[in-house]
Amino acid sequence: MCIPDKNIYKPYLATIESVVDETPDIRTLRLVFQDEAVRDSFTFRAGQFAEYSAFGFGESTFCIASAPTRSGYIECCFRAVGRVTEALRRLEVGETVGVRGPYGNSFPIEQFFGRNLVFVAGGIALPPLRTLIWQCLDWRDRFGDITIVYGARTESDLVYKHELAEWQGRGDVRLVKTVDPGGNGPNWDGQVGFVPTVLEQAAPSAENTIALVCGPPVMIKFTLPVLEKLGFADEAIYTTLENRMKCGLGKCGRCNVGNVYVCKDGPVFTAAQVKAMPQEF
Amino acid sequence: MAKTLSLDNLHRLVDALLQEGVRVVGPKRTGTLTVYAPLTRGEELELNELPRRSAKETFFPPCETILSFEKRDGRTTVSDPDLDRLPETVLIGVRPCDAAAPGILDAVFSWDYDDPFFLERRKRTTIIGIACTSSDDACFCTAVGLTPDARQGSDLFLVPVEGGGFAVEALDAKGSALKERHAALFTAGGNTVPLPLAEPKVEPLDLEKIRAWLDGNFEHPLWKEIADRCAGCGACAFLCPACHCFDIVDEGGEGSGCRRKHWDACGFGKFTMHASAHNPRDVQPQRYRNRIMHKFKYYRDKFGQTLCTGCGRCIRWCPVGIDIKAVLDEINKKS
Repeated sequence: MCIPDKNIYKPYLATIESVVDETPDIRTLRLVFQDEAVRDSFTFRAGQFAEYSAFGFGESTFCIASAPTRSGYIECCFRAVGRVTEALRRLEVGETVGVRGPYGNSFPIEQFFGRNLVFVAGGIALPPLRTLIWQCLDWRDRFGDITIVYGARTESDLVYKHELAEWQGRGDVRLVKTVDPGGNGPNWDGQVGFVPTVLEQAAPSAENTIALVCGPPVMIKFTLPVLEKLGFADEAIYTTLENRMKCGLGKCGRCNVGNVYVCKDGPVFTAAQVKAMPQEF
Repeated sequence: MAKTLSLDNLHRLVDALLQEGVRVVGPKRTGTLTVYAPLTRGEELELNELPRRSAKETFFPPCETILSFEKRDGRTTVSDPDLDRLPETVLIGVRPCDAAAPGILDAVFSWDYDDPFFLERRKRTTIIGIACTSSDDACFCTAVGLTPDARQGSDLFLVPVEGGGFAVEALDAKGSALKERHAALFTAGGNTVPLPLAEPKVEPLDLEKIRAWLDGNFEHPLWKEIADRCAGCGACAFLCPACHCFDIVDEGGEGSGCRRKHWDACGFGKFTMHASAHNPRDVQPQRYRNRIMHKFKYYRDKFGQTLCTGCGRCIRWCPVGIDIKAVLDEINKKS
């Protein structure tokens, strides 16, 4: 929810409050809306995304990576890989970015109350789950066991390193972190192996459990059969799809997978929904 | 009694509208082409030729500024284009295939979020359609549910009559208001025997059957057969009255500039390419499949309408001779 503007393409202005370099090329921006009325009224649900702009360069689509339960700011996390993301990365604390959103559907968190949760993420795909992880941790007593399986190619490719340490230290979360073989340094205290393999070894129970999976297509491809083997039904597995977007509003016509518009019908889908789609993502 | 309008009075109507300060857009010869363009006098109207490009740019310009930004003393400000300054427009001499399209596009530009740029122009534009009395081999409006005298989308409609001039029909409040404002130009009675209508040489397609076939044949050898030769030039999308895909880009520099909406086309290779270089539609047949699916399945699924009015421009001007009508006939045969 936000204040409606007649010009649906006009972003709110936000100031970069802080910057964290998660990896050599992945950065988190914490953003505070400049207009007090927007700051007070902007709400979103975990799973929704926004269009972030570096003025003069354009807009890029990322999820809102901070938790809806943490108000006063939003965060995004991105890899500097193109014209817009390089420009966003050059901006410093105190400078201005544009934000349009929140857009898209969200995780149906109310349906997860009373259930166990297994989060499975790879590489830069932790941010779309991290928003939900923190919301669940902020509402900890509404959920059963929480397991987080997170992996990246190397130790330095892991994002939110401080938060991983925090989750590891909590008694009410089971964190299984892993790096690909060869990605571990001498002091690595996690697992070594690919996410699907490590998930299989961790073997979380599927009983009364929801799985939430985000990662590169190859990780998803090998993770779904593991979840199936562990007893998860396709309806109990959630993921988010990412396709190139421009408007985020269901008009510009490029993010569709078959007749499903990722920007409006998604980005959150169950594995059952994804399996019913044509292979176009 | 039916009203008629002589060709001279049609020209006078344009002149009178211009005098009132109304922007009048109609088919006009510019250089070697006839296109829908702002008229400066009535006699410029060229009603004998289907314009090269459709009339969609009257509502959805190829490139338009959606905001501008400025950074001064470390402070960024963003300002909107003034939509209140969009001119009242009369779009005149519009073929049924072009007149029907904007109404079809209303659905996508107004579901959930209203696109003010498209919708404000729609609100401020009166469409004067004209029945078609000639067609060529590429015309196929009758195959997709329209006719050479379809009123769909027109506010006022002209039917060419024997002996010259037009029978005039107001179809809604906008059309009636325009007619009443210039009542002196319209004559009661006169010859109202219509000239023979154009007869596109096509059979009607069963659009629901085509939709059903597309539903089950996302993967099919047909896509490769048709579209391996597609050059990905995007001409079909740019000429199409109903293609609405666009890009959003910033122009100018960090200090000041503007953000613009540009026409885009699903036939372009980079249309869906991710920053990682992963491309869900990696090869041309996949892109052409999306074009057909979007027009004849996805848009029907979402909005119950077909995103094609049979104007035939994509057939006439495709540099590699891809014929959408032949593709539809082939699908019709298979389904």
